[in-house]
Amino acid sequence: MGIDLMSFSGHKIYGPKGIGALYVRRKNPRVRLAPLIFGGGHERGMRSGTLNVPAIVGFGRATELLKEGMVEENLRIAGLRDRLWKGIQSNLDEVYCNGHPTERITNNLNVSFAFVEGESLMMGMKELAVSSGSACTSSSLEPSYVLKYIGVTEDLAHTSLRFGLGRFTTAEEVDFAIEKIKKTVLKLRDLSPLYELVQQGVDLKSVTWQSHG
Amino acid sequence: MAYTGKVVDHYENPRNVGSLDASSAQVGTALVGAPECGDVMKFQIEIDDETQVIKNAKFKTFGCGSAIASSSLATEWVMGKTVDEAMGIKNTDIVKELSLPPIKIHCSVLAEDAIRGAIRDYLKKNGK
Repeated sequence: MGIDLMSFSGHKIYGPKGIGALYVRRKNPRVRLAPLIFGGGHERGMRSGTLNVPAIVGFGRATELLKEGMVEENLRIAGLRDRLWKGIQSNLDEVYCNGHPTERITNNLNVSFAFVEGESLMMGMKELAVSSGSACTSSSLEPSYVLKYIGVTEDLAHTSLRFGLGRFTTAEEVDFAIEKIKKTVLKLRDLSPLYELVQQGVDLKSVTWQSHG
Repeated sequence: MAYTGKVVDHYENPRNVGSLDASSAQVGTALVGAPECGDVMKFQIEIDDETQVIKNAKFKTFGCGSAIASSSLATEWVMGKTVDEAMGIKNTDIVKELSLPPIKIHCSVLAEDAIRGAIRDYLKKNGK
């Protein structure tokens, strides 16, 4: 697969937290790593320290379960993710999926809802556990640098939400989320001076904004 | 982000949402902030020429819950005040009333700018 190094986390696959694995290519060419943790020389000197056996066993079992059901489970989750995106698109205009439309992990959907700020959107949807790519949720006022580097403009980055789906997500929950998102976005667009300007035919890029830097 | 009840109340029931006729000589309009910064407030006031009292105020805000609450509160506060009195509203008053955390202080600054901007627009229109 052309992989040099690959890391795996237990908690990403419904296994225990605090445990993971690192794949290191052995040849063609061999990847050479310098350890960060020194001591007793555990794990071939790469990561010294007493091994956490219960977590390792748990992680091992989680990967076993993953192997059994991964293909179908991924298809099911991708289906729900597409259902969510289609539901959002059919109910709202000016919504944009951030990232590649198909070449992405199955359980993630990141959407910009133009003219509505992400944090205010989250505030109106307490029933949904989502995160915002906009600044206001975190301690920084800058929007997500990941969105920025994948080409999302700063104004749209402020309007983005990240939806995560998982093993226990159901179609009913997705439909509930679609309704909730629709209602909240429409409510906040009624409150949005940007939406009003666009409805009046104003090009937002032509406006001289008085920003505070 | 933990918000106080007052911010949530203004977010859920924003006061005086809407628009006034920006072309009217009695109306002052301000549009402050920028979409790239994540906050834009449109703030409008209607003033009685005789008494210089603000008899109506409307807002629309793109921004976080604190930005919405700050501008909503500002419409409530300016109504019934004279232009001079409204000019005296400070962002720190808004911070205090809504118990805004330090990271949200810029929302109150924007609301103060919005109030002053709308008053200045009215004064300019009327050659004052």
